[in-house]
Amino acid sequence: MLSFLGRRVLIAIPTVLLISVFVFALQKFLPGDPVLALAGEDRNPEMLAFLREKYRLNDPLYLQYFHWIGNALRGDLGISLRTQQPVLELIGQKLPVTVQLAVMALIFAVVIGIPAGVISAYKKGTWIDWLANIISLSGLSVPNFWLGIMLILLVSVKLGWLPASGYQPLTEDPLQSLRTMLMPAFVLGSGLAATLMRHTRSAMLGVLQSDYVRTARAKGLNERTVVLKHALRNALVPIVTVVTLLFGELLAGAVLTEQIFTIPGFGKLVVDAVFNRDYAVVQGIVLCTAIAFIAMNILADALYRILNPRMRDQ
Amino acid sequence: MGERLPEPHPLLQVTDLSIRIGSVGENLVDGVSLRMNAGETLCIVGESGCGKSLTALALMGLLPTPPLRLMSGRAEFGGQDLFSLSSQDLNHIRGGEMAMIFQEPMTSLNPALTIGEQIAESVRRHRGGTRTEALDRALEMLRRVRIPAPEKRLGEYPHQMSGGMRQRAMIAMALANDPRLLIADEPTTALDVTVQQQVLDLIRALQAETGAGLVLITHDLGVVAEMADQVAVMYAGRIVESGPVAAIFDDPQHPYTIGLMSSMPALGARSGRLVTIPGIVPPANAMPKGCRFAARCPFAMPDCAKAPPLADLGGGHRVACWNAPLEQAFPAMAVAG
Ligand SMILES: Nc1ncnc2c1ncn2[C@@H]1O[C@H](COP(=O)(O)OP(=O)(O)OP(=O)(O)O)[C@@H](O)[C@H]1O
Ligand code: SF4
Ligand SMILES: [Mg+2]
Repeated sequence: MLSFLGRRVLIAIPTVLLISVFVFALQKFLPGDPVLALAGEDRNPEMLAFLREKYRLNDPLYLQYFHWIGNALRGDLGISLRTQQPVLELIGQKLPVTVQLAVMALIFAVVIGIPAGVISAYKKGTWIDWLANIISLSGLSVPNFWLGIMLILLVSVKLGWLPASGYQPLTEDPLQSLRTMLMPAFVLGSGLAATLMRHTRSAMLGVLQSDYVRTARAKGLNERTVVLKHALRNALVPIVTVVTLLFGELLAGAVLTEQIFTIPGFGKLVVDAVFNRDYAVVQGIVLCTAIAFIAMNILADALYRILNPRMRDQ
Repeated sequence: MGERLPEPHPLLQVTDLSIRIGSVGENLVDGVSLRMNAGETLCIVGESGCGKSLTALALMGLLPTPPLRLMSGRAEFGGQDLFSLSSQDLNHIRGGEMAMIFQEPMTSLNPALTIGEQIAESVRRHRGGTRTEALDRALEMLRRVRIPAPEKRLGEYPHQMSGGMRQRAMIAMALANDPRLLIADEPTTALDVTVQQQVLDLIRALQAETGAGLVLITHDLGVVAEMADQVAVMYAGRIVESGPVAAIFDDPQHPYTIGLMSSMPALGARSGRLVTIPGIVPPANAMPKGCRFAARCPFAMPDCAKAPPLADLGGGHRVACWNAPLEQAFPAMAVAG
């Protein structure tokens, strides 16, 4: 397993480099002059020239890239044009917020989606199955922002149970932090739960008809053991892949959800950086996201191998 | 034959078992009755699709319902009516006193669990005890089914084993709790010809050791001749002939059985499937009302539009044919047969 992980990390390095070139190039071809954005009202030519020099915008592109990637490897992702803070520091501040949101949403999705999928497959064709399918279909078709606003109106404004905004870092006030994140995580997780439920259901339907589930019953095992130990374990193999694929959806959804609940996370950082042409920040963010994606994929592959013994000998 | 002694209490007695798919059409298994004593081997023989597996699965309570439906029937096993047991009581019996080996060795073991775990969990379910004790028992069973390097196999997964080894592991699993009845559904059909005989020999040896009764399903008359005490010949969901093995082989009475015999390559050869009788089995949605063999039967006559009952010719030899016994209907047969 360790050698497998090592190999996967090695293979990931050129991928990350390629992405970095791509990110850098894309950035340079976007319309708009960052120096103009930075200078704001003060458009005197000397000032502009000074800024160009300071941020090495006069160097040839490849030099700018090597400079940037060289620094990045040392953990220096540059300085935000707007706030003058190091990009890594900015990301370090915002990323944990979003990770907390994403992890809580994923927990919601798994805790709701997988059991719902298992039950509706097991009770296929009964009213329980219908109900689960109707709920999951609504989960898929209701837009996040609408669900978010409705929840805020109901839970915060009308019932006053949970705050609508006012994020607290997990490290400072854990309980309050969880309370403020509960609704956003639910909103973000509900769509994923619906997707997960459908995939779990179809995977379980296949597995429940398999010969080895029949063998498990022939041994006189009780239904709980048959379904959870023999069927679900095998159904989880494709489900893990689905969860990996959901990761992109999760990040995109997080950006939107942070806007609805005014959470000062990665999403806000992305939006601000793009609108202000804050190159360094955008580059840093995309690079971090790409690395997170690759890491998730490696993690999913590892999990896949743990769940699927047939993969282990290869 | 002198005075008939009262028959011993049977280990398994199936009466009028009928299975249907959905609610329309004819029964896929129609009025099947079987009877066997403890320690005996009952062979159910018939062409592919005649309902052998459905019959066996019904006894184990493993019919996929829906789409299949148990229409009628009673199955007494050791004095208990299998079809009226609670699921808890049934789970107590299956895997314990009554165990089954399936037709599909490649897919019948769970790919995500080790062989040892799969045997041990059955042992713990029926005998209790610790995981270690159960694994010890699993190891002992792997030895008894003569799997090479059993210690190593205990921790291996099904995909690491050949079909023959998997079927041995299935046998080990089925016999781990000393069942009184083993149902083996074509245990060798999916295996290489060279392995088939070994697996059959193994089943026979273990049966002799444990004294378990065996319901052996096969489409191979060579296997029947080798293994059976009692035989039931099935055609299109019905038993057409049944009785002690000697009666069936020495004096086959049903035209279908005779057809099977004459298409049998040579006793002991395992290769030929029994499909050389002209014509095809009627499909489930077009079952004739009367004798289901009529379309292929050389002796068919107008009477055959009614279903013939399974009538006793004496000595437990039963035949479902209007023309039985053939020697009386066609005196020339006595010579020709
Ligand atoms: N799950 C099912 N759904 C619908 N029809 C079925 C199902 N299982 C079996 N059948 C049908 O029931 C009939 C009897 O099937 P069964 O599996 O008992 O045959 P078999 O005698 O075991 O044949 P084989 O020698 O091929 O194993 C066949 O016509 C088959 O198509
Ligand atoms: S009942 Fe008629 S059709 Fe059926 S096997 Fe006998 S002779 Fe043939
Ligand atoms: Mg079969």
